[in-house]
Amino acid sequence: MAISDDRQSPDARSGDVTERPPAEEGEDPTSDVERGGEASADDAATAERSLRRTLSEHRVHAAVVVAMGLYPPLYQLLISTPLGAEFAVVLPPVRTMVAVLYVGLFAMSFDFISGYTGYLSFGHSLFYGTGAYLVVLAATGKLPGLSAGTPFMGLLLLGGILAALIALLVGTVSFRLTGVYFAMITLGFAEVAHVFIRNWDHVSPSPQDGANIGGDVGAFQIGVPGVDTLSVGIGRLVGDSYENLFGTGIEFNEAMVSFYAVGAVVLVSYFAMQRIVHSPFGRVMIAIRENEERARAIGYDTYRFKLVAFAISGFFAAVAGALFAGFRRSVGPSSTFDLFVTADALLAAIIGGFGTLAGALYGHLFHEFLGGILSTESHGLSRYLRENLPPDLLNAEVAGVPLLDVVNVLIDGRAELYLGLVFVLFVLYVPKGILGTIRDRIGGTAAEHLPGHVRKYFRDRR
Amino acid sequence: MTGIEPALLAAGDAGPVVASLLSDLLDVGTLVGIVLGALSKAALYVLIAAGLSLIFGLMGVLNFAHGSFTMLGAYLGGAVMVVLVSSGTGPYARIALFFLAMAAVFGVMTAFGSAVEKRLIRPIYDRQPLFQILLTFGVVLVLDELVRIVVEVRGMQPRSDWQEALGTAPGFLQNTITVAGSTTRGLYMFEVLIGAMVVAVTWGFLTRTRYGLYIRAGSEDSEMAQALGIDIRKAFSVVFGVGSGLAAVAGVMLMWDPRFGASVPLSTDALLIAFVVVIIGGLGTFRGTVVAGLLVGLFDAVTTWLFHSAYVDFAGLPEMVMFLALVLVLIVKPQGLFGVEEVGGH
Repeated sequence: MAISDDRQSPDARSGDVTERPPAEEGEDPTSDVERGGEASADDAATAERSLRRTLSEHRVHAAVVVAMGLYPPLYQLLISTPLGAEFAVVLPPVRTMVAVLYVGLFAMSFDFISGYTGYLSFGHSLFYGTGAYLVVLAATGKLPGLSAGTPFMGLLLLGGILAALIALLVGTVSFRLTGVYFAMITLGFAEVAHVFIRNWDHVSPSPQDGANIGGDVGAFQIGVPGVDTLSVGIGRLVGDSYENLFGTGIEFNEAMVSFYAVGAVVLVSYFAMQRIVHSPFGRVMIAIRENEERARAIGYDTYRFKLVAFAISGFFAAVAGALFAGFRRSVGPSSTFDLFVTADALLAAIIGGFGTLAGALYGHLFHEFLGGILSTESHGLSRYLRENLPPDLLNAEVAGVPLLDVVNVLIDGRAELYLGLVFVLFVLYVPKGILGTIRDRIGGTAAEHLPGHVRKYFRDRR
Repeated sequence: MTGIEPALLAAGDAGPVVASLLSDLLDVGTLVGIVLGALSKAALYVLIAAGLSLIFGLMGVLNFAHGSFTMLGAYLGGAVMVVLVSSGTGPYARIALFFLAMAAVFGVMTAFGSAVEKRLIRPIYDRQPLFQILLTFGVVLVLDELVRIVVEVRGMQPRSDWQEALGTAPGFLQNTITVAGSTTRGLYMFEVLIGAMVVAVTWGFLTRTRYGLYIRAGSEDSEMAQALGIDIRKAFSVVFGVGSGLAAVAGVMLMWDPRFGASVPLSTDALLIAFVVVIIGGLGTFRGTVVAGLLVGLFDAVTTWLFHSAYVDFAGLPEMVMFLALVLVLIVKPQGLFGVEEVGGH
């Protein structure tokens, strides 16, 4: 596996400058700032350079954040154009984008442990479920010591810490195993929790269906706890909405507010994980993936590194689960602790790029994009075709079968089939996924190298 | 009431509870019932796990599609039975047709398994074991969805058991019979018979045929086997095929069992059972798989009895104990009860 060519982060950079092969940096103007070995002469100048370098490194991040931020109003705009029905088929609605964010965070946390250390955590749903159930049980007053009014931000943190502790316990016995045995034991732990939560009648009278948060509990607030003006409520129906915000005439509905609030938490979580991955700690994680015996021979206590990485991963998986529960306000065993919840993360990580962190989010975006087009809901392609194609065309026969039946059978709600096919093709032919392949092409992380490539492209064109 | 509270209660006045539990348990009828239940479950578990054990033992590939092959076998077997059996078919003719369906499904799924191995898994042997998990998992997604499409097009419910196929079992198997003061279904005893047959045939295949020899040699040391002139690639194909065929045979049996039945979720249920049994038994030992199947069957029967006689108020206990056993074995003896460390070099 050669995804390991991530560049060093700024904080780990100083000792590394001379080791960099200059040829690779040829197109990257930011490295000119770096190459002066006598940079230590002036502290202020160094600080400024370092800041400028950090900023320039995050241009691609900024672009992605801006694009995501502009999506909801853009979506509103596009579906009100004459081609609105067509846009509605292709573009995922904003409430789906909220799911992209929290499941994307879950997939990133999965990639954090599985993609970077090479230990496939097949029971990752355990942590997602922990976060989700903690929120619902706390909000319904079923957890001793936690009042129903505990701030949501506190629950996010608490769920994360609880999951990190569980990860430490699970990891203590699991990290003595490798390969498929590690995958199996984590799957075993998750299934134990799955069976337990499916039969634990403290959750609700019918635990196999999960639990709901009633309407009497207000929307969960994301922001600064206790300060109303600095928090917004999330949720599909109960969240905050703003008409004519700041007199701009723009209307923010519940889904859009939730999108930005959940997005802020996901963004912070992503950067936290991204920093860790690019820190010396992250280098050890990659070393474990590439050659664990060698990492141990160099003197790293790999067992402890794996444990801590697993705990961090569990923390963010639980944050994702808590966001899911906070937005949907209902949890069930099949949407939290199930093997197929882990499978969603696996799909996202493989399609997006295993061991690329951000790729997992794009992978899940692709999943929801495909799922939206092929869904049976009102904005799906099959409904659109049935409503907009002339009846005689729908009844026309393709190889003896009416077209309508073909649409119903092959398109209506069939996202899983095509996603499975795409997944198999990716495993066979694009094992590095979308982002991993891009990184191979440009010789490093997109955040650092894409701007240089874009500039080079335009310079060559001129 | 939660599952934990009774345990706490029991801790308070442990003496009388344990005494009454023991006196209940040592009743002859109860013991026979538990043994019969254990045998019938064990037979199914061994059936489900046998194919995976062969594949995992020789190739070190943890085939995630195993449960999907079982599910496919259940539907294919059910289809054969539903087509061939009419209300006038006699009970013995039904049994004969059942064996016919089993043989046909075994043939078809063996060919299918070999094809999957050749087309999809062979290109990625040189990659990390991770990719074999990923690839077979992708096969699960595609197969389950394809079956769901066909089932829905035929106007059936993919999530609930296929009643029509359940109904093709002869009446004398559906009735209850009494053995030494304990009642059981004729079908469960029939399952024990089928399980024993499949174990015997697989045992014969492993110890009496050339390919069995290859498998045993390859499980010990695949490089050495290759050096001695065994075409290990061909052996992989054959074993993957036979393993898939065995998975499907288990499916044909489950199609008649009202505790399972042909349905799409059977895929996951069977997969998890197969994993637990194979891992507990140990990598590369068929004997281990058989013993592990018996053990897990016994756990299942005892915990089911504990729940039914109201000693434990937690319906998920049998299933939970199964996964706890998996976790415990992996912690205490990762190579499994009968496995040898580093066998097969995986």
